[in-house]
Amino acid sequence: MPRSARDWLDLIRALPLREPVRIMNVCGGHERSITTAGLRGVLPPQIELIPGPGCPVCVCPEEAIYAAIQHGLRDGAIVVAYGDMLRVPVNVPKDEARSLEQARALGADIRPIASPLEAARIARDNPERQVVFLAAGFETTTAPLAALLQEGAPDNLLLVMAGRLTWPAVAMLLDSEQPGFDALIAPGHVSAVMGSDEWRFVPEKHGLPAAVAGFSPESLLAAFYAVIRQTLDGEADLTNCYPEVVRPQGNPAARRLLEASFAIGDAPWRGVGSIPASGYHLKGALRRHDAREQLPDHGAEQRRRAGEMPPGCDCARVVLGKIPPTACKLYGNPCTPRSPIGPCMVSDEGACRIWWSAGTR
Amino acid sequence: MCLGIPMQIIGIDGYNARASAKGVERDISLFMLQDELPAIGDFVIVHVGYAIQRISEDDARQSWELFDQILAESDA
Repeated sequence: MPRSARDWLDLIRALPLREPVRIMNVCGGHERSITTAGLRGVLPPQIELIPGPGCPVCVCPEEAIYAAIQHGLRDGAIVVAYGDMLRVPVNVPKDEARSLEQARALGADIRPIASPLEAARIARDNPERQVVFLAAGFETTTAPLAALLQEGAPDNLLLVMAGRLTWPAVAMLLDSEQPGFDALIAPGHVSAVMGSDEWRFVPEKHGLPAAVAGFSPESLLAAFYAVIRQTLDGEADLTNCYPEVVRPQGNPAARRLLEASFAIGDAPWRGVGSIPASGYHLKGALRRHDAREQLPDHGAEQRRRAGEMPPGCDCARVVLGKIPPTACKLYGNPCTPRSPIGPCMVSDEGACRIWWSAGTR
Repeated sequence: MCLGIPMQIIGIDGYNARASAKGVERDISLFMLQDELPAIGDFVIVHVGYAIQRISEDDARQSWELFDQILAESDA
């Protein structure tokens, strides 16, 4: 018999929890559900919920966005990107285009898309032009791209690869001196693709409680209950609170497609630096789709503040769960969803935007 | 970008399918479910145009309610 959110809340409140527990999530969808449902306000005060590295737009390399802007302005390419990416600012002098949106205003052919299928269609409809796809995203977004490549993508579709794996960012935090959290909520749809077993290293190597959650308040509260129970029992484990979608091995076809398309290597995360084995890179014959090999790079990495967050923006520490959005001195003034300074306020998955939209001041 | 949306499959042509969620229809790909292809009437979670996993009707309906709530809040 499935339990209601109220039941889970009562169970959590009845636990003999005395010490503070910091529970990190690594998924913008989780953070949105937590914030929308107001879960922070109803849990016992010892429980702190921390938004962690769950926003692929936020960590998309600044150099990759800069390169995509230049391909649109200087190479005459059609540039396509998920809608969130269009307003993410890069670090350039005042008289240059700061975002794909500004490049479009200057005449570049920039188009928002919602699926890799649209990128392929635009490339097929424009065979005489190069179509550059700024391919940011975590496993859930990169696996569909792998499917497109394996099914056969047009040769004039070029990719600025910015796909990232989620777990290496968590591993990096856990390997650091101050991870900043005591338990992990593993992402639901990343786990649906990659499998819940991918998160076993959290309890087994680091001794931290972990649970995979779905996106309903019931599933999230069940996951909080699971990790707090593990904490009280002194037995770290991985509990799957989203079994209707997540299997231990994930979606084997999706994993095969990823494996066939990409090599995994070190990769930069904006404002954070390089994280080992966290990036998807085109491999083998698919490198003919690599924009970096087919187009000039326009000095993306040689610029002042290349790879950094915008000046004054604390998005990198927000992404890593080191500070809450409200601790950034730009939060709300002048940085708001209407005129965002940093990517965490641009993206629907950014903690700053989620908190601001929910009225957190 | 990263939101998975439950949809019901209403038509299939190879790995391409037509799917519907609360009256909105989209063309989606079943390529990632090639090991266990769904049938017309089944529910799947769709992510950037690709079905990534099957889901029960009950779970799909619960998720739709959740999205309604989130959208209502985003509009506010």
